[in-house]
Amino acid sequence: MFLFKKKKDKAAKEEAVPEISREELLKKAEAIQKELPDLSGEERNKALNELGSLYFEAEETDKAIRAYETSLSESKALGKAYTDLLKLYNIKRREASEAKDDAKMKEYMDKIDGLMKLSKDVIRGKA
Amino acid sequence: MQVLNFIINNILTQASIIIALIALLGLVLQKKPVGAVISGTMKTMLGFLVLSAGSAVIVSSLTYFGDIFKAAFGLKGLVASIEGINGQAMNELGLGSEIAITLAGIFIVNIIIARFTKFKYIFLTGQALLWEATLCVVFAYYCGLTGVPLIIIGSIVGGFFATFMPAFAQPIVKKITGSEDIALGHLCTIGYMFTALIAKLTGGKSKSTEDINLPKSLEFLQDTYLSVMVVMVPLYVITAAFAGPAACAEYAGNTNFIVHAFLQGMQFVVGVYVLMTGVRMLLAEIVPAFQGISMKLVPNSVPALDCPVLFPYAPNAVIFGFVFTTIGSIIGMFLTPVFGLPMVLPGVLSNFFAGGTAGIFANQVGGRRGAMIGCIAHGIFITFLPAMLSPMLADIGFINTTCTDVDTVVTGFLFMLFKSIAAIF
Repeated sequence: MFLFKKKKDKAAKEEAVPEISREELLKKAEAIQKELPDLSGEERNKALNELGSLYFEAEETDKAIRAYETSLSESKALGKAYTDLLKLYNIKRREASEAKDDAKMKEYMDKIDGLMKLSKDVIRGKA
Repeated sequence: MQVLNFIINNILTQASIIIALIALLGLVLQKKPVGAVISGTMKTMLGFLVLSAGSAVIVSSLTYFGDIFKAAFGLKGLVASIEGINGQAMNELGLGSEIAITLAGIFIVNIIIARFTKFKYIFLTGQALLWEATLCVVFAYYCGLTGVPLIIIGSIVGGFFATFMPAFAQPIVKKITGSEDIALGHLCTIGYMFTALIAKLTGGKSKSTEDINLPKSLEFLQDTYLSVMVVMVPLYVITAAFAGPAACAEYAGNTNFIVHAFLQGMQFVVGVYVLMTGVRMLLAEIVPAFQGISMKLVPNSVPALDCPVLFPYAPNAVIFGFVFTTIGSIIGMFLTPVFGLPMVLPGVLSNFFAGGTAGIFANQVGGRRGAMIGCIAHGIFITFLPAMLSPMLADIGFINTTCTDVDTVVTGFLFMLFKSIAAIF
């Protein structure tokens, strides 16, 4: 597949972005968490997605899932909440299969199926 | 001995029982409670019988349609419906047991390849595997195989498709999703890669489809069966109008021929509805069993999921893909008779799912221009390939229908290639 050969990663040439420590990420998340009860509509949804993203980066998988699930339950949109949730569910699914935990494995496979249904429904204007 | 003979001749030859036994095995392997094992087994059997009922309705509607289409336009007209192919193969052709066992065989081959090679893809779209099992069995049977050799060869070929098609698409899926976490488990991959190739050659550096404002959804597709109806009913009515009352009289009897055509179009939709309900019931117990077993045996597997999993990464590209694939399939519909092939009438659902996904592939490598040109080419491609396979399908005994999913079409061609090579020796 010569036509699809990887191009040299331009990003690698760019200067490395300084990494934010886990503590800083959690601190930011905590601040957003405090603001959440006062927010509504699009603002709240944006905050929830940012919260999910911060927790994901800080490797707080369960908290990230909770934030994104709340975001999707309040606004069914095909954005970052969806794509990150897919990754997070897959992480949990993999952990469950390594631990041979059948119930958890099924739970996360069902959640992945739910995401696919949501995707179909949103595109077809059903959600 | 008499009892054994009775079981072999009267029970194990029944496809619904074979399918139920496979579900039973899956449920027992998952250590489900006795109640769940019994209800799951019975529901699977019921699913097969519902599928058979749906298939009978489709066949009756397609027999009528084929005849009036020929009378109207002097051409052979085929409805592209993989569901119809599956229903006819399982019932009218009597290959239900072989298809059910091959489906289980494909699961096993997929797990073995994923377990022992670097290709860790586990194909989790049950419906697509059922279609693949159908084509493997039908063409292995057409090549002269029966019994155990048919099931073994069908399982190996299907298992290879289930593992290597996600691997084939993965370089682009990885670009779309930005990770290696998931793969695509939809057997239209050859069409997607063809679209991507055309898009890459023609798209250049055009902007992404996601930079423009499009309607957020395709609302007319809200109800699956309503959207099939919107296409099929006018198709039947227009064909009947061209055929005229005399050609339709044999079927319509005392009913007005246009009203009868309308009702026949509706019957087709009913058939698809019933058949798909049966397919869902049939797979509801078998697929989770496979998921559980495969994830346990291949813990580092990459799940190959159904195409809607990619829609959120480029929703505009889905709409682009649907629209331009439909345009391409209409062009293809008029082009196929020019090449002496039957006219293949486009399927709205395959245009949506396969077209939408092709749009995402094309946009990823060729932007919006690539998506437009690539998807028109995709529409033509997915019309020509099934048209080319249709003489063989007709020879096997399929009535006025052909496949939709391109990889299953290629499976058919692959078996024909095996047959030709075998004939040399």
